[in-house]
Amino acid sequence: MLSDSKVPAGPLADKWDRHRFELKLVNPANRKKYDIIVVGTGLAGASAAASLGELGYNVKNFCIQDSPRRAHSIAAQGGINAAKNYSNDGDSTWRLFYDTIKGGDFRAREANVYRLAQLSENIIDQCVAQGVPFARDYGGLLDNRSFGGAQVARTFYARGQTGQQLLLGAYSALMRQVSTGKVTIYPRREMLDVVIVDGKARGIVARNLVTGEIESHAAHAVVLATGGYGNAYFLSTNAMSCNVTAAFRAYRKGALFANPCFTQIHPTCIPVHGIHQSKLTLMSESLRNDGRVWVPKTPGDKRRPEDIPESERDYYLERKYPSFGNLVPRDVASRNAKEQCDQGKGVGETGLAVYLDFADAIQRDGKDVIEAKYGNLFEMYEKITDENPYETPMRIYPAVHYTMGGLWVDYNLMTNIDGLFAIGEANFSDHGANRLGASALMQGLADGYFVVPYTMGGYLASNPMEGVDTSHKAFDASRKEVSDQVSRLLSINGKQTVTQFHRRLGKILWDYCGIVRDDAGLKKALEDIRALKEEFHKDVNVPGDGGDFNQNLENAGRVADFMELAELMVTDAFYRKESCGCHLNAAYLTEDNEPLRDDKNFAVVAAWKYTGYGNEPEYYEEPLIFENVALTQRSYK
Amino acid sequence: MSTKTITLTLKVWRQNRSRKKGGFEIYTARDISTDMSFLEMLDVVNEDLVLSGKEPIAFDHDCREGICGMCGAVVDGQAHGPLKETTLCQLHMRHFKNGDTVVIEPWRARAFPVVKDLVVDRSAFDKIIAAGGYISAKTGGAQDANNILVGKEVADKAFNAAACIGCGACVAACPNASAMLFVGAKISHLGLLPQGRPEAKTRVQSMIRAMDRLGFGNCSNETECEAQCPKSISIREIARMNREFVKASFS
Amino acid sequence: MNWFIDTFRTSLGKKLLMAVTGLGFLGFIIVHLLGNLTLYAGHEGVFNAYVAKLHQYEALILVAEIGLFALAVIHVTTGLLLFLANRSARSVRYAVTKSGGGRTVGSATMPYTGLAILLFVILHLSNFTFADVTDRTMYDVVAATFSSWIYIIVYVAAVVAVAIHVRHGFWSLFQTIGLNHEKYMPALRAISVALAVILGVGFGLIPIYIGIIV
Repeated sequence: MLSDSKVPAGPLADKWDRHRFELKLVNPANRKKYDIIVVGTGLAGASAAASLGELGYNVKNFCIQDSPRRAHSIAAQGGINAAKNYSNDGDSTWRLFYDTIKGGDFRAREANVYRLAQLSENIIDQCVAQGVPFARDYGGLLDNRSFGGAQVARTFYARGQTGQQLLLGAYSALMRQVSTGKVTIYPRREMLDVVIVDGKARGIVARNLVTGEIESHAAHAVVLATGGYGNAYFLSTNAMSCNVTAAFRAYRKGALFANPCFTQIHPTCIPVHGIHQSKLTLMSESLRNDGRVWVPKTPGDKRRPEDIPESERDYYLERKYPSFGNLVPRDVASRNAKEQCDQGKGVGETGLAVYLDFADAIQRDGKDVIEAKYGNLFEMYEKITDENPYETPMRIYPAVHYTMGGLWVDYNLMTNIDGLFAIGEANFSDHGANRLGASALMQGLADGYFVVPYTMGGYLASNPMEGVDTSHKAFDASRKEVSDQVSRLLSINGKQTVTQFHRRLGKILWDYCGIVRDDAGLKKALEDIRALKEEFHKDVNVPGDGGDFNQNLENAGRVADFMELAELMVTDAFYRKESCGCHLNAAYLTEDNEPLRDDKNFAVVAAWKYTGYGNEPEYYEEPLIFENVALTQRSYK
Repeated sequence: MSTKTITLTLKVWRQNRSRKKGGFEIYTARDISTDMSFLEMLDVVNEDLVLSGKEPIAFDHDCREGICGMCGAVVDGQAHGPLKETTLCQLHMRHFKNGDTVVIEPWRARAFPVVKDLVVDRSAFDKIIAAGGYISAKTGGAQDANNILVGKEVADKAFNAAACIGCGACVAACPNASAMLFVGAKISHLGLLPQGRPEAKTRVQSMIRAMDRLGFGNCSNETECEAQCPKSISIREIARMNREFVKASFS
Repeated sequence: MNWFIDTFRTSLGKKLLMAVTGLGFLGFIIVHLLGNLTLYAGHEGVFNAYVAKLHQYEALILVAEIGLFALAVIHVTTGLLLFLANRSARSVRYAVTKSGGGRTVGSATMPYTGLAILLFVILHLSNFTFADVTDRTMYDVVAATFSSWIYIIVYVAAVVAVAIHVRHGFWSLFQTIGLNHEKYMPALRAISVALAVILGVGFGLIPIYIGIIV
């Protein structure tokens, strides 16, 4: 049992306020005595590093890419939610909180989600002050749009590049701290271990990806902002370098991994085209505001979409969910697309796609209006598929996009290891079993700008600690472990490439731990993953050497971790005997074929503890207590 | 989508990390589907190299959606290849013909030293941003977002400049290896917005000086940067920077 | 004055010098053309009268000459500094280069046309400005020079270089001082072409007219 989530007492709306008061403070003059490591420079990492640097701490900020500006937050298209109620359509902090909790199918912590909704407003203010060029109306006020799963227009956006603009805002704040000397950036570094001294996280070991050097960095606390693990599926909308390694190495050191099976599968991606495909491209779900999803009524109908008359089309989302229609949450849209394709109604060469049709919207609003809203997305679609979505419907299919699971954290966003924080997608905290659109950016920035800067102070002020430097024996041990792993991978000299293994792993996860899961499939997946893992460690071929820029070696380490993580994901999925949000177990469905939750037994956070290579992980449980919302069956009908 | 396969000859720049000099190696990219992206084509070549016991070609890439700015190489003499407004990861093989010979080189600029093969070090861009490419807005100190009015036209203009992905294609494409489009875009983005005005003067001064120190060339208005920029950032951003510089220097 | 020197030490400062001095030359060359149009009058009297008139403003001319010389020193040395800096900014050249559509003949050859013009100006000054006119008129000097085929070819070639230089330099100087607006730039670009043609034809026909037709 895991009960110490450190959620403060008192009414929901006052918790964060009260908690901030109760947290101890570090005297401004003393802050320069503390070193903090932040791993990752996405929205969460960059905003945390910038804010902590601004407070006066010495921050070391690590990223895997050549520049902090490249983190994958940059690819978020649609927007960022905030309960500003600028649209005067009935939004409020409470409504954003409720939508998020309900959207997550009641598998998130109330207090965290409420805090997120509260902070959402400050985020927009902060970003505008930094010069983020959000969309405006002609009077100069900020514009909003509605987004999947919400009936109010609370999403702030910057064309189809909101993530880019927000990240560049956070990046510029970060670079400002770099210029003052409070933050030092370590680019092209991959964190390979967290170093624990006397039960507290006191540093990291990282590999310099250019020189291959294994470096040690000591600090008073470590913040992981290392993103999600969607790339375990090989094909996902994540960037190529997104990986679980940092989080997973923390897990190996004793940090709990929560809800690893909660994987969001985004409904609107460009379908797979061939075996050499390296990744999938997302089409913002804002497209569903105007596009209508349909398939032919008759299975196997191979006519061109233009030739299928209106009466022979099935606008299945509008038919099944009349009040939300095409705007149902992501999990619902994805599951339905798969269901249609499974019935043989899928379109395109592979039969693994449904139409997203703009013909009606273009007729209603004119091509110019649609172009202004989605021009860049349409262009991107045409670039990739060579088809013009103004003339023929887009073809879309679900793809792995975001992972709600992640390192377990308490209300302070600290893992069960003292001094090790996890923020952004890397933690599990705010999205439950399904994340609503435009909420990831909100969470990343809330954690980085407005949560960790306070809770970090609280931790440091109430945990006096000795100075530790990298000559400590714990660092030696970590360095040795890491370099041993590097040499092990290089010495296998097998016959298969890292990518070949990764692709096979991805297929197992997609087939058995994807949109729909069942016990038999999960059992098989576990066996298959274990066999694949064995094979990997016997037959992988990693060319080059460890003392060089070696992208295959980087990948090999990541894939090795993905293999172990995949086992954990499947174990978690198997354990959760219910359907909720993204986790649909075919055995647990309502009469309407909707996910059937088991609130009596599974209104919990399932957290797992590492017990050694090849051993079953140990199960911990945090009960979710809902004092403010009634657990209802999600219905978008 | 009509899929077919093509075979290409690649002339790729290979350069060891430890050595100052590199050279071209020739590879054959066989049975490449025209629906693949350029980087997926390189993936295929690399898989073959690994399986035949050779070291794969190092190249930077990440999002493969044309937004992170990580990828880029000069393909047949053009930054990000022949297709306009397209990053290398979004360049698809349908734009090549069976039997083509394709020459692939890294960005070449003194300010962007080669790390390995097609990978270059672009940290000079981060240094320019650190010199002033920001608005000093303290976390938590912001007023309500709607208190600052920004007309749609101005917001759109600022966005056009802010769309820069920092890939470095402008430097690679410029016959003088100048970074003025990159710098101009950031100065325009921040300078157009009312939030950015208070620091406009110091920003342009220090960013330009940082750019000069880092060894980039000068602009001679060849406009190749604009022509090869994957986000079609306009040279008007450079003009705006010049204007800001004149204002800042003589007032 | 520190700020002043400091400004022109930057890359943009140097570009500003190029733009402003270039504009100065452009002003001069237009006036020069207007005066030289008298050569097309059909008889030498008109041109000689113009030369005589000009010599009445000895002091003014001296000032102009000093000014032009200063412009030349600044334009040429700054141009050279920029040219060398630009070359060193790309230490390893590309094996293949291909324009994405931005470059023009003018933009690609600015340093070279510039250098050619410099050499030509030296020749031109020795031909005419420093010519001995004690027992002949200026027109005689012009006619004598263009009686040679070689001079005709050299002068026409030089005028073409000037036209190419101006074709890129004119709109470019506005861009450099920060005047590029979507409304006006197309007009500035058109004027660049027009100026190049006017200067090219206006000056270029003089050797041909004097040397061959008259």
